[in-house]
Amino acid sequence: MGLNLSQILHQLEQMGAALAEHEAALRRLQPAATKALEHAASLPPEELAARVARAGDRYRGARPSDEPVRQRFPPPALEAGLVIAGADGSQIYPDRHAAALYYVIQVGSLAIELGSGRAPQTRTLPEIHFRPEDLYDDDGHPVNNAVINGRRDALEMKALADWAESAAGRPFLALLDNGLLLWFALQVREQQQKEVDRVLKAYLGHLDGLRTRGGTVAGFIDRPRSADVLALAHLATLPPEAINDAALRANPFRALTDRIVFEQLLEPGERSACFIDSSPLNRDFETRGHQVRFFYLKTDARGTIARVEVPAWVADDAAALGRVHAGILEQCRATGGFPYALVRAHELAVVTNEDRQQLETYIQQRMLEHNLAPRTSQKATTKRWTRGRRKHRV
Amino acid sequence: MDPDDRPIGRVTRCSTRGFVGAVRLPEPEWPVFGTFCRAEAQQGQSQVIGLVYDLSIEDDELARQLAASEALSPEQLADSQVNRQVPVEYHALAVGYLTGDVFTQSLPPQPPLTLAPVYRLTAPQVRLFTDRLDFLPLLVAVPEIPVDDLLAAALKTAAAVRPESERRSYLVRAAAECARLLGRDLTRLESLVRAIRP
Repeated sequence: MGLNLSQILHQLEQMGAALAEHEAALRRLQPAATKALEHAASLPPEELAARVARAGDRYRGARPSDEPVRQRFPPPALEAGLVIAGADGSQIYPDRHAAALYYVIQVGSLAIELGSGRAPQTRTLPEIHFRPEDLYDDDGHPVNNAVINGRRDALEMKALADWAESAAGRPFLALLDNGLLLWFALQVREQQQKEVDRVLKAYLGHLDGLRTRGGTVAGFIDRPRSADVLALAHLATLPPEAINDAALRANPFRALTDRIVFEQLLEPGERSACFIDSSPLNRDFETRGHQVRFFYLKTDARGTIARVEVPAWVADDAAALGRVHAGILEQCRATGGFPYALVRAHELAVVTNEDRQQLETYIQQRMLEHNLAPRTSQKATTKRWTRGRRKHRV
Repeated sequence: MDPDDRPIGRVTRCSTRGFVGAVRLPEPEWPVFGTFCRAEAQQGQSQVIGLVYDLSIEDDELARQLAASEALSPEQLADSQVNRQVPVEYHALAVGYLTGDVFTQSLPPQPPLTLAPVYRLTAPQVRLFTDRLDFLPLLVAVPEIPVDDLLAAALKTAAAVRPESERRSYLVRAAAECARLLGRDLTRLESLVRAIRP
């Protein structure tokens, strides 16, 4: 039985009204948020920095970079001969109800030589992990899905570093369909420190490789929900002596996102100033020379706002930052504000339900060949019995 | 791997009259109208021989987006035409089956299995299968498909896998068989003969 829509129709009506009300409330807040940001921009940089320093580790908002907070940057010219690579990954998580325990990661990537007229080069790299050391952590606990996501992120970065090697000597931009910080590390760090360290080491190693090969890298976040810059704007409104936990928590712009503010502030093609992400994880990245910074970019005329994350060595290099800015805009032209390279990388990476079922069949066949009796759990079997009604048509 | 060894899709729907295959392949690898193909049936005991007669490209939202865009770059165009695995669906009419090494030109006892891989017939297999022309009545009798075009395509495919010296005589023999089948419809016959004339 599918979702019984008729029973929730009334709730859906309420939901529509609530969404409209919420949106209107956000729009009412937006002028005050913009004003607060202007106030932050009017403060001398050292004063703003002093307030951030006073807020200390409890502050989770953006930190200003060398660029003025309120500054807008028009699109720079696109470099001739730029090579743009994109990578994305997908996975099949371990299923204890399946015939065997395993997981799959597949990374799709491509490299486009702008101006060549040639079809991009593409790669799809699947990996199946079935050994105990892949499936269990050092304490014998099954790896959780967040760890698999982290391993996938590291492989995506590796794919981009490999493309950087292929494009050595030419201007190169690598795009990742996500932020650069490995969020899985924050999720599971306390429970699985060793695994987090291993993945982080691999990921940052690939980032090192990308840098030493002369590449540029950016993480692209579509429809960002962060409010880091608004937290900075709120902090700027607080008198230095009043900065404390309670005052930081009393942020009136909490319900807003930076996106709503930059939709108003930026013209199509413009980017905001760069800011520094104040996540504790960024300290690990900073230690390894990859402090993560970000800016907002209006990627098309419809007003799509993306958050773009770059390492400090890109943000501090005007040519590299311009390459990111212009390269992303070029990639967004035909695809409505989302980079073409990432659209295609996703297509190359995606593992469908049909793929999953086919793989399961092959695994069961291989088990039979080795005189093993593949058996799914009874729960999985009964789910299969009731899954979907057959349609008979030719 | 020989190109003929690679599947050109998998069966998604089927009956004893034919089957539908679906595949995601770049354009150069699509089957063409009039391709002879085979798909496993009866738990591998036989192979249904099909003749591809209808290819369609399934809805693809990215292609539609790119088509509507004024900013499509030459690299993106080449990517779509060369790299992208476009979802293709094709119908194949059952014209016989293969049991062991023996081809039989009649409807198969059972349809292929769902998700059975579909392969092109190799040139020697096409030649062997089309030596006899008993599959022609199966084609002529099918309603609602472009039978005459399919007949012409199938016969031209069959002639093309023969040595140059045998092609004309093969087509003459096939035309005679068509004359027997379409004797009451001289307009169709004339059009068919014109289509297969070497």
